[in-house]
Amino acid sequence: MSAVAPGSPLITVQKVNKHFGPAHVLKDVTTHFNAGEVAVIIGASGSGKSTLLRTLNRLETHDSGTIIVDGITVDDNHKHLDQLRAEVGMVFQQFNLFPHLTVLDNVTLAPRRVRKTAREAARAQALELLDRVGMKAHAHKHPFQLSGGQQQRVAIARSLAMQPRVLLFDEPTSALDPEMVKEVLDVMKQLATSGMTMIVVTHEMGFAREVGDRILFFDKGCIAQDAPPDAFFGNQQDPRIRAFLGHIQH
Amino acid sequence: MQRVLSLWPASWGRQQRSTATMITAGVVILLVLWLMAKPLSYAPEPIGPNAQAFAEGTRVTVELTVIAGVAGLFLGVLAALGKISRVPPLRWVASLYVWIFRGTPLLLQVLFVFFALPEIIPKLKLDEFSAAALALGLNVGAYNAEAIRAGLLAVPKGQIEAARSLGLSRWYTFVDITFPQAFKISLPPLVNNIVSLLKDSSLAYVIGVVEVSLVSTRIQAATFQPVPCYVTTGCIYLLMTTLMTQISNAVERRFDHEGKLA
Repeated sequence: MSAVAPGSPLITVQKVNKHFGPAHVLKDVTTHFNAGEVAVIIGASGSGKSTLLRTLNRLETHDSGTIIVDGITVDDNHKHLDQLRAEVGMVFQQFNLFPHLTVLDNVTLAPRRVRKTAREAARAQALELLDRVGMKAHAHKHPFQLSGGQQQRVAIARSLAMQPRVLLFDEPTSALDPEMVKEVLDVMKQLATSGMTMIVVTHEMGFAREVGDRILFFDKGCIAQDAPPDAFFGNQQDPRIRAFLGHIQH
Repeated sequence: MQRVLSLWPASWGRQQRSTATMITAGVVILLVLWLMAKPLSYAPEPIGPNAQAFAEGTRVTVELTVIAGVAGLFLGVLAALGKISRVPPLRWVASLYVWIFRGTPLLLQVLFVFFALPEIIPKLKLDEFSAAALALGLNVGAYNAEAIRAGLLAVPKGQIEAARSLGLSRWYTFVDITFPQAFKISLPPLVNNIVSLLKDSSLAYVIGVVEVSLVSTRIQAATFQPVPCYVTTGCIYLLMTTLMTQISNAVERRFDHEGKLA
């Protein structure tokens, strides 16, 4: 199903600009994300990292520049958009599970509606995914009965059910109690090991260092540095980034 | 009366008990409509001899409420969608509708539909019952529109983002995600509107629809016994509104997937 070989760009971002009123939140951002790669985006709040992530599946529009995901140009064309979003999964800070549906229905809804998967097949696939994230025993509960960490693991399974080419994570552990962060990060590590293409906005430096193939540091709407984790964390020359890392880690 | 739910076996789940309450209250309403002439006929003068008239009037009242209620629900959803539409003319039409029907007296609307509408559009010469049902439906629809609009706007943006990011089309996002959640939020005000509708249907008497209020007025005029006539009518309305509230409470519990109700 892949038109893109591992290691070649799955997503290209060319000179993308975005304004929120007078604020220029993305300034001529140019980068690319490769298939099979785990890219971790870090930076201060308001630096534009979440905004970039959200422009990749058009939850946020960009004012200029081009974004191409797996050959699909990201624009206002509704056909492109539905096609794009079926290929790009997203995990949110606030989980955003559907509260009126059971865990199982949360996971099966999109495959049944979008991929037209038969009920039984969707159910079997969902249970397998829930098993993978350790939530199979909770398949018939409603989201309010679950802890934050459990909800986020279900949200990951829900995204995976669409068999996306790439998964976007928008601060997936920022709304969690500390003791639940690990269970979610463990699921994400396991995904990374399986070869999933992931773009992760996070403040979890341990995860970035251990799992990331690339670290992108955002500062005031620009990518200030794009480096492998060893160089980024081990031999950081930039005084601003050193200051930021000092803040985060202590 | 709020404790009806606790009458069911403790081993039943919340949903089973809610469903049982809905069915029971619905059946009781039908039984009342069917059989009320019987017990009423044992009542003393002037109610007993007129039991049949009371029963028929009650049936007309409920028919008016059900027909206008269903029409009002459709109109309410349409007008709510119109009001939050991105297409300006749709917004204008929906706002104009709500503005007119919330801003003028229901009595005037009933009179207008029956007497004035046929003058403007001769084809719309309706019988009393249809005119009353139309006016009531249009009126309750305008109030429902606001309740449903509030519900639609109360669904968190993150829900829609999550649905769209899964690749669900705008239609499925509405049908599967937005509408079920909005409906639940809108349910209490909608029930309020339907209960009001049941009582407001009494205004149909001005154009001669023989619903239960007009029945009691006529019997009162013939017997000069206002107290028993109006007390009976009041009791009939109370019985109906109480049963309706039971159904709506059960519906609320049935869809309370977040465990918000005690």
